[in-house]
Amino acid sequence: MKRFLVAGRTDFVRRPWFGPLLALLSLYALFSFISPQTFLGATNLLTMARQTVVVAICSLGMTYVIMLGGIDLSVGSAVALTTVVVARALQAHAPPLAVIVLGLTVGGLTGLINGTLVTALGITPFIVTLGTMSLLRGAAKGLSDEQKIDADPRGIDAWMSMPEHGLLPPGVWIALFAAIVAGVALSSTVFGRHVVAVGSNEQTARLCGVPVARVRILVYTLAGVLAGLAGVLEFATLTVGDPTDSIGLELEVIAAVVIGGASLSGGQGSIVGALVGALLMTEIKTGCTHVGLPNWVQEIFTGAIIVIAVALDRVRKKPG
Amino acid sequence: MRRQILRGFLGLGATWLFGCGKKAADPQKPSAARLRIAVIPKGTTHEFWKSVHAGAAKAAQELSVDIVWKGPLKEDDLKGQVDVVQSFIAQRVSGIVLAPLNDKALVGSVNTAVEQKIPVVIFDSALAGGNIASFVATDNRAAGRLAGERMAQLLGDKGKVVLLRYQEGSASTHEREEGFLEAVRQHAGLELVSDNQYGGATTESAFAASERLLLSKVAGSEASTGVFTPNESTTFGMLLALQKAKLAGKLKFVGFDASDKLVQAVRVGEIDALVLQNPFNMGYLSVKAMVSHLRGAAVEARTDTGAKLVDKANLDTPEIKELVKPDLAKWLGK
Amino acid sequence: MRLSLRSVDKSFGVTRALENVSFDVRAGAVHALLGENGAGKSTLMKVVAGALRPDSGSLLLDGEAFDPTEPSEARRRGVAIVYQELSVCPHLSVAENILLGVEPRRFGFISKRAQNERAARALSPLLRGRASFALDATLGSLAAGDRQLVEIARALAAENPRLLILDEPTSSLSGDAVARLFAAIRELREQGIAILYISHFLEEVRQIADDYTVLCDGRHVQSGRVADTTNDGLVMAMAGRAIAPHERHPRERGEVALRVKDLAGERLPLAANLRLHRGEVLGIAGLVGSGRSELLRCIFGLEQASRGEVSVGNRPTAGNPRRRLAESVGLLSEDRKGEGLALGLSVSQNMTLSKLSALTRHGLLSATREREVSQHWIARLGIRCRDGAQRIAELSGGNQQKVALGRLLFHDVDVLLLDEPTRGIDVRSRAEIHALIQELAERGKAVLLVSSQLPELFAVCDRIAVMHRGVLGEARPVNELSEHDLLLEATGA
Repeated sequence: MKRFLVAGRTDFVRRPWFGPLLALLSLYALFSFISPQTFLGATNLLTMARQTVVVAICSLGMTYVIMLGGIDLSVGSAVALTTVVVARALQAHAPPLAVIVLGLTVGGLTGLINGTLVTALGITPFIVTLGTMSLLRGAAKGLSDEQKIDADPRGIDAWMSMPEHGLLPPGVWIALFAAIVAGVALSSTVFGRHVVAVGSNEQTARLCGVPVARVRILVYTLAGVLAGLAGVLEFATLTVGDPTDSIGLELEVIAAVVIGGASLSGGQGSIVGALVGALLMTEIKTGCTHVGLPNWVQEIFTGAIIVIAVALDRVRKKPG
Repeated sequence: MRRQILRGFLGLGATWLFGCGKKAADPQKPSAARLRIAVIPKGTTHEFWKSVHAGAAKAAQELSVDIVWKGPLKEDDLKGQVDVVQSFIAQRVSGIVLAPLNDKALVGSVNTAVEQKIPVVIFDSALAGGNIASFVATDNRAAGRLAGERMAQLLGDKGKVVLLRYQEGSASTHEREEGFLEAVRQHAGLELVSDNQYGGATTESAFAASERLLLSKVAGSEASTGVFTPNESTTFGMLLALQKAKLAGKLKFVGFDASDKLVQAVRVGEIDALVLQNPFNMGYLSVKAMVSHLRGAAVEARTDTGAKLVDKANLDTPEIKELVKPDLAKWLGK
Repeated sequence: MRLSLRSVDKSFGVTRALENVSFDVRAGAVHALLGENGAGKSTLMKVVAGALRPDSGSLLLDGEAFDPTEPSEARRRGVAIVYQELSVCPHLSVAENILLGVEPRRFGFISKRAQNERAARALSPLLRGRASFALDATLGSLAAGDRQLVEIARALAAENPRLLILDEPTSSLSGDAVARLFAAIRELREQGIAILYISHFLEEVRQIADDYTVLCDGRHVQSGRVADTTNDGLVMAMAGRAIAPHERHPRERGEVALRVKDLAGERLPLAANLRLHRGEVLGIAGLVGSGRSELLRCIFGLEQASRGEVSVGNRPTAGNPRRRLAESVGLLSEDRKGEGLALGLSVSQNMTLSKLSALTRHGLLSATREREVSQHWIARLGIRCRDGAQRIAELSGGNQQKVALGRLLFHDVDVLLLDEPTRGIDVRSRAEIHALIQELAERGKAVLLVSSQLPELFAVCDRIAVMHRGVLGEARPVNELSEHDLLLEATGA
């Protein structure tokens, strides 16, 4: 029994998200210690959760893409495009439910474009999504006449507000739900196993009859749908369609996924890790404000955490 | 001299190429005579710049000149703005009207333009140096002081004050922030709780920063706290954060610039006061100054376009209405 | 003595990788280092090359104390190593690869002329009797054998080469590349360089080595002259026991399981006809590059066929791996690490990858079921690993290959296409895999076996066909064939 416990514990330590989780908790303790009245409060926790939603949802899709050995630089642009499309559709008096479906569809289409280009043309994902990053951004600007679009949110904004009754804003529940589905799908469905296999060794996957092209297109599409969801929630937060929204979001998302233990060469990554990574970055931003540190300190802090998290992971994995 | 001869040749060539057989060609002067003025804002998404655009369009129409409106789409894309200026220099426009994103980074480009005999009028934000034809702007420091005084009045000279800055390196908002702080410091009863946080370039970043600030610095003392934000994106971000936290209307909030949503918030009491510049006037006077300069008239080195405080009480006066909602469609044709 | 080891010990945690190892290596001789995987060969090699330091004991190089703290120091003293996995930079040229890290400099710039001269000098003993290749060719454009020569040349580019360590240098080489390599090794021996040669192939050892040392479980078992020992004696020393050859039971040839008619690929094969019956092992012999692997890949659908047909059961079908697997045809790739296995994944994940549907319950993969499956096959195939969750990269070559085979067995395919199943694995695993193939045939499976090892083909197959320049010859029963016949047919003589 004792032996079992010990084995269980080392197993836990070996998880890729263990280091980042430790960082998350110890920073939490540190910030709470320095400014106990404000940082420790429930409201602050809720706010942090809400602020993490967009990055977290995008990081779910990005985890899949990165585990596949790919990358998606277009996610920020896809989110911005979705906020614009949602705002335009609301202006045109489309029913809110249809607007949400439209937002997810637009996101999914951007992913489908990425996946198809990567698969059909055999161009590296970095190049393809570098292209679509600019392409989608341009489309967002064109569709919005280069202006922010005010639209009556007609109830969509409630998704990111505290409900009258209930613990968390619906958006946070949606993100949690999406994360659980993504995590279970990755670890224990055939699709998830195929994703890992293709990322680990594409030749082997082909040899084993894995439909490599289909898996790849599906993963990018899925990432797109999640970007669309993030876009809808971003609109719910801001209540404007903003073509300049989420510039640089892709880097924050990639950072979250990498902090969470993913390898950019594919085959390795974790949904829990990505969530922890996303939370960690929000926590640093929030903590620095509460402690009263200026922005530049916070940026240095975030950068250092990324490098340290990945370096620790390497050290931990070294044999012997 | 040589250039003019060259241009003449090119003109002849073009006539020969495209004008063949078109004997009755328009006898109007060659297009070089109609002034073509580039107007470069800091960004294009804020309501503020739409008004500037309208004012510039009005001046263009009145003075029979062409304006080219182009800015970096992202509000903090300094490199993008430098590129825009340089491409206009390369296009050899008649003059450049520029709202510099940074008071030093654009000095080089402006000097290049002036060396190439393209005069430059600066508006909205100051430039540190450079041989410019005129500077047309709100006196931002005075506008900031205006906000500070109103804040003191709203709080009854007693309470906490929070400042959410806009962005590192933006001169106009820095002036407003400093003006605000100057005024606040003259009232001993006001305690400055935070003045080192920045909202950043976009609404989303301003919103997140506002939420953090509210939670860490304001929570628990809403009634005796005042918040100031120095431009549209920070004001809107702060407003969203207040609404989310159900704090809107509970603390004193003075913002800067106007948009539909911000004006609506003043009307329902979620914002106590907005400092309004006169962007329409700014665009109008800038282009006018440029045209006067190009046509050889004397131009004031510094023009103040003024700032006004808007609150629930004066919201519907005609003067303020014109400021809040200039007839953009009339000038921009949309 | 060029190199002497005296009571060398090395432990990793509780594992004793080397225990009191002592032996001598002569100058101007090829010294074979033999042992199963895990016997301590790699550790020993790394100690000599300076990549690891021994816990105790000492090394002498030409009578002087030799205790390198890092590989570059060993290299300066004239000791160089060529690892089994080729480590060359594919984007650099031949000369650049050879002088990587010791580039001749002039005024801070690399001197092209000196670089080419030194590279040519290092290459020259390796190229006796054959045309050189361009020094400015990029490595990526070279064949595997030539890349290996470049890597050896890099080892020789040291100032005063004294000892060269070769770790299974022939594992990825074709027959004539091996011959060229051996010629090069003999030339180096003539120059008085000592060569420590690690290999699984006893035939090879017999051809090239003068002396040998056998390690078993980290201990030195015996050393001596190769000429004074038999293969059986060496195998016994390596395994620590005698390996009984699989007793060959009579097996029943059943219906035709796979029919290939006039099949041609995009490049290779040119023409292939065969019928594979249930209960039969059909061998395909031939030189590397004759199109044997391509034939298997065309049948399995990994490469496009340009002509001809493949029928599994009754009717011809177009091939893609998914369909073939559904038709119960499985392929074991010759490229174990590049294609056969996903090295980042675990034993059980690799084993179950082609038939995950057998593990799903309500659309979710059952971890319990996965564990059961891997436990079963680990026990059944004698795979030496911690458990099914261990990463496959941590296993030895022989055990990796068993996992790859285990995947075909778990999928329960009826037709097995095996491409070089025993390449680069240790003696014991090889014998176990031979026994397994026999047993599968006895159970009515159909096996198509590609191998470059003639003894292997004779030991396992019922019939053998020879592939020569893309054309598959007629299959004939083994008892009508001799190795001599096959060699003649394979070389087109």
